[in-house]
Amino acid sequence: MSFFARFAQNRGALVGFIILMVIIAMAILAPLLFPESPWRMVQRPFLPPLSQEGFPLGTDTMGRNVASGLMHGAWVSLLIGLVSTSVALLIGVPLGAIAGYYGGIIDDVLMRFTEFFQTIPNFALAIVLVAIMQPSITSIVLAIAIVSWPPVARLVRAEFMSLRNREYVEAARLVGQSNSTIILRQILPNTLSPIIVLASLMVATAILLESALSFLGLGDPNVMSWGYMIGAARTVIRQAWWLSFFPGVAILLTVLALNLVGEGLDDALNPKLSRER
Amino acid sequence: MKTPLALAISAAALTFTSLSMADDPTPGGVVDTIVQPEPPGLVLGMIQNAPTRTVSGNIYEGLLRYTTDLEPMPQLAESWEVSDDGRTYTFHLRDDVTWHDGEAFTAEDVVFSADVFHRELNPSARAVLQHVESIEATDDHTVVFTLTQPFGPFLLSFEAGTFTMVPEHLYAGTEFRDNEHNDHPIGTGPFKFSNWERGTVIKLVKNEEYYEENLPYLDGVNWHIIPDGASRAVAFENGTIDVLPSGTVENFDIPRLAAMDNVCMTEEGHEYFSPFAMLWMNNREGPTADKRFRQAVMYAMDREFAKDVLWNGLGNVPLSAFGSNARFQNDDLEPYDHDPDRARELLDEMGYDGEEITILPLPYGETWTRWAEAVQQNLREVGINVETQATDVGGWNQRLGDWDYDLAFTYLYQYGDPALGISRTYLSDNIAKGSPWNNVEGYENERVDELFNEAATAFPDEEREALYHEVQEILHEDVPVGWLMELGFPTLYRCDVKNLVTSGVGVNDGFKDAWLDR
Amino acid sequence: MVYARLIIMRLLKAVIVLFLIVIFNFLLIQLAPGDPAAILAGQAGAADQEFLNQLRERFGLDQPMYVQLWRYVSGIAMLDFGYSYRLGVPVFDLIMDRLPATLLLTGTAFVLSLVLGIVAGSMAAARVKKPSGSLIMALALVFYATPLFWVALMSVVVFSVYLGWLPAYGLYTVGGGHTGFALALDIVKHLVLPATTLALFFMAIYTRMTRTSMLDAAQQDYVKTARAKGLKPSIIQRRHVLRNALLPIITLAGLQAGQMVGGAILTETVFAWPGIGRLMFEALQQRDYNLLLGIFFFSAALVIVFNIITDLVYSLADPRIKKGAS
Repeated sequence: MSFFARFAQNRGALVGFIILMVIIAMAILAPLLFPESPWRMVQRPFLPPLSQEGFPLGTDTMGRNVASGLMHGAWVSLLIGLVSTSVALLIGVPLGAIAGYYGGIIDDVLMRFTEFFQTIPNFALAIVLVAIMQPSITSIVLAIAIVSWPPVARLVRAEFMSLRNREYVEAARLVGQSNSTIILRQILPNTLSPIIVLASLMVATAILLESALSFLGLGDPNVMSWGYMIGAARTVIRQAWWLSFFPGVAILLTVLALNLVGEGLDDALNPKLSRER
Repeated sequence: MKTPLALAISAAALTFTSLSMADDPTPGGVVDTIVQPEPPGLVLGMIQNAPTRTVSGNIYEGLLRYTTDLEPMPQLAESWEVSDDGRTYTFHLRDDVTWHDGEAFTAEDVVFSADVFHRELNPSARAVLQHVESIEATDDHTVVFTLTQPFGPFLLSFEAGTFTMVPEHLYAGTEFRDNEHNDHPIGTGPFKFSNWERGTVIKLVKNEEYYEENLPYLDGVNWHIIPDGASRAVAFENGTIDVLPSGTVENFDIPRLAAMDNVCMTEEGHEYFSPFAMLWMNNREGPTADKRFRQAVMYAMDREFAKDVLWNGLGNVPLSAFGSNARFQNDDLEPYDHDPDRARELLDEMGYDGEEITILPLPYGETWTRWAEAVQQNLREVGINVETQATDVGGWNQRLGDWDYDLAFTYLYQYGDPALGISRTYLSDNIAKGSPWNNVEGYENERVDELFNEAATAFPDEEREALYHEVQEILHEDVPVGWLMELGFPTLYRCDVKNLVTSGVGVNDGFKDAWLDR
Repeated sequence: MVYARLIIMRLLKAVIVLFLIVIFNFLLIQLAPGDPAAILAGQAGAADQEFLNQLRERFGLDQPMYVQLWRYVSGIAMLDFGYSYRLGVPVFDLIMDRLPATLLLTGTAFVLSLVLGIVAGSMAAARVKKPSGSLIMALALVFYATPLFWVALMSVVVFSVYLGWLPAYGLYTVGGGHTGFALALDIVKHLVLPATTLALFFMAIYTRMTRTSMLDAAQQDYVKTARAKGLKPSIIQRRHVLRNALLPIITLAGLQAGQMVGGAILTETVFAWPGIGRLMFEALQQRDYNLLLGIFFFSAALVIVFNIITDLVYSLADPRIKKGAS
């Protein structure tokens, strides 16, 4: 069975995939459908949804178009999720690979280093990092990456440890391939599927983390992200439920979709397990 | 334009005053209210930030109190005289006052507080004390202040939070900041400190030995500490909290809370402070160094929108550097109305090339964040390339202290007189790195310095007025800072809490006269 | 004997890690803009240079950084955490004041999420491919995907404001005058919303984890053997599958227990819970370095303690570990 067929067999994964595509489409279409800045105060504040043409989701505390914010926010949230996950992978994969491949003292040192980061509570560390670097897209992405790489390192290390003594690796060693070649060419490709599954979940977590940071007032003030929208609407949640409802739903759906896709990928990439189930 | 809410307040305030006259106060009951944020300590004089003033103004007292028109009322001093040359102030103290630990309050306490304690610890009192040549206790209950030269606002400086009376017998000869009594403040006020559960509540109890007859009526006041704005609103709604001092709930919640049954609201009780929101503009470098750019910013901002949308129509859009509550306002100046075209013209004239500038919001909650977003959008619409930089309190302090900003929000208290609250922003000898509270914008104008300095010590008031009117004209033209708004700081309370706001500092010393009609 | 050595080794490592964390955090915080003196001066309502200098000297901030670091580290070695700049109270006292509230909140949430998560997870595992099983998993996924603070806000609006069932904030009713049993009941009432909110997210994780590892365990040879022997499915499920499936959950739970202190920051803020998460956030904003470092130290120590406990529980539950160690 092909990868796509296996993926599509998981109905949840298919639903997740469709939701994700819709959200990506929103992000891409935002500048076309709403060319004006989402920060522009265009109407009376607190217009309820559907009460006025052109404002299907109403306006916010300052008379800004919620629909426009939501579409532009899709772009920002996805971007923050993807970039911070990539940065986390860039830190975690090499560390895990080296630790798992070489073992011994190197492994010990690197794993102590990893543990060190896991010992400081994640969210607290993220808050401190953003506060120190002062809130901006860059600092938020970095902070999220710095608190989320340790699980990647652990996963990759475990995979490498189980793979490093396989026959084909031994064979490569006998042919005289260098360590870096073995790591990059032989082992890494075989660890990709669990990494991809983990990464899809990390994007989801990163989006949640960003929204939590924004909620505490540590978001980038120049970009309209969903987390910002909820954070800004939280003080008026009683008067204007729709202001925090729609971005909340958007986050929920995105995180949900990413998780469903992650599960689907897991099934599709690890066919043995899923078939037995 | 008055919004419906603003009208409702004036109406509520009217009915409230007429009702309270008719009723007879009944003693008893405890009022639950809010202090936000949790104060760092309760010893006024050592700490003068808003939360400490709010709680401790009911524990400590000053020589005088002030009406909502900022007229002095007797407190610890029952009468006072000013000499004809405006240099000698004589205060006659009450002879029946005791500290919460039972010791008698005497003129020695006043001399110690002013001459020793405040000179060492209290920057704002120091600013006033520089005009004071000597402070003498001529007998147990008389104190004479002799000034180096007349100082117009001197009589406005004796409010409890600014010129707190501290007990000499507990503090003299000790290291003030390490004094063991700092944990258990001892004042002369209507309420005594009971206990402080950090993060939860500060409890004050009635001072049974209070010198004013029948006062206070209340058995105690609980100051609750609830860090989240939405939770504070809920606590008021579900009846846990009786009084919301100004600034303790987000502005967006105020109309809803004010519309509830049995909820009253007053805008009175902040006249002494009358907080003035301003936009620092860096006069030293970048586009903001050009006067035309700063004028353009004034024309670009839609201040009426901010007032209506963010401040519920409460407060006042100022004409210029002197607020409407300040004395000596010059109202002949032409207002800076919202006029984007005029702003664009000015930018063209100066040849603004789109250089990016930054704006720092005040990190004090949602309203300020929203306000910065609105101003940023206003500026962008006239073609100013502006980015917001988020900071927390620490970052904001440092950026302003280091003059590392283009535009920045702030608000400052006016303290009832230009010489106390306004001149400090514009005097060139008040330029110093390291503090966000002085002449941060770096404005230097010799004539302005002269006028302000002369006006502070001119005597009598007519002479001061002429000088202040001239200085306002210069400032109005130069726009050293942006004048955003005189903030309306409404206090919300259950209507059965009577007589709550009786002075120009509101609940800061208001529980003294308050009683419960339950 | 083996245990003793294991524990001593772990403790030794823990001390080193803690020491490094202290230094790391100290340096990290130095990078933050704005010093405590300037913030305190701002809080005092007014400030001049003299005032700032007084404060800096008082806190030793006028000293070079290495001197400050040395003073701090040598203080920690004597278990002296210094004074809070802002509140003028020993950091140790402040933390001890707040720690019980946080432990009560996170402890309740931890137990709640673990128990409910394992129950829901094993139910879902027993109902694979059935609508009820899918429903559980769908719910778990929704809880997992919903922002924690959003649930917190909504639950306040619904249960506290509209329904009026539960108090919205605080640890107990101030001025309620409750004592003894009534006080305990009062605290429990206040605990319901924050603990549930905090637990939902972690419950979702445990549910998914339990289901997965039970399905994995069900594929193991010994389960197949047991099935071949003709044991009742319910007994197999409980005695063989669940027991083995629990191992990875214990590991995860051990990690999460430490992390909960961090996650409690949001919950504590929304519900005005007087715990150390909130204290930490305030300390950070006020640049109250001593306090912040103290809280970091304690939460890191908590994580380490939980990790050691996890290891011990794990080695008790899984006999294979013991052989490996000896």
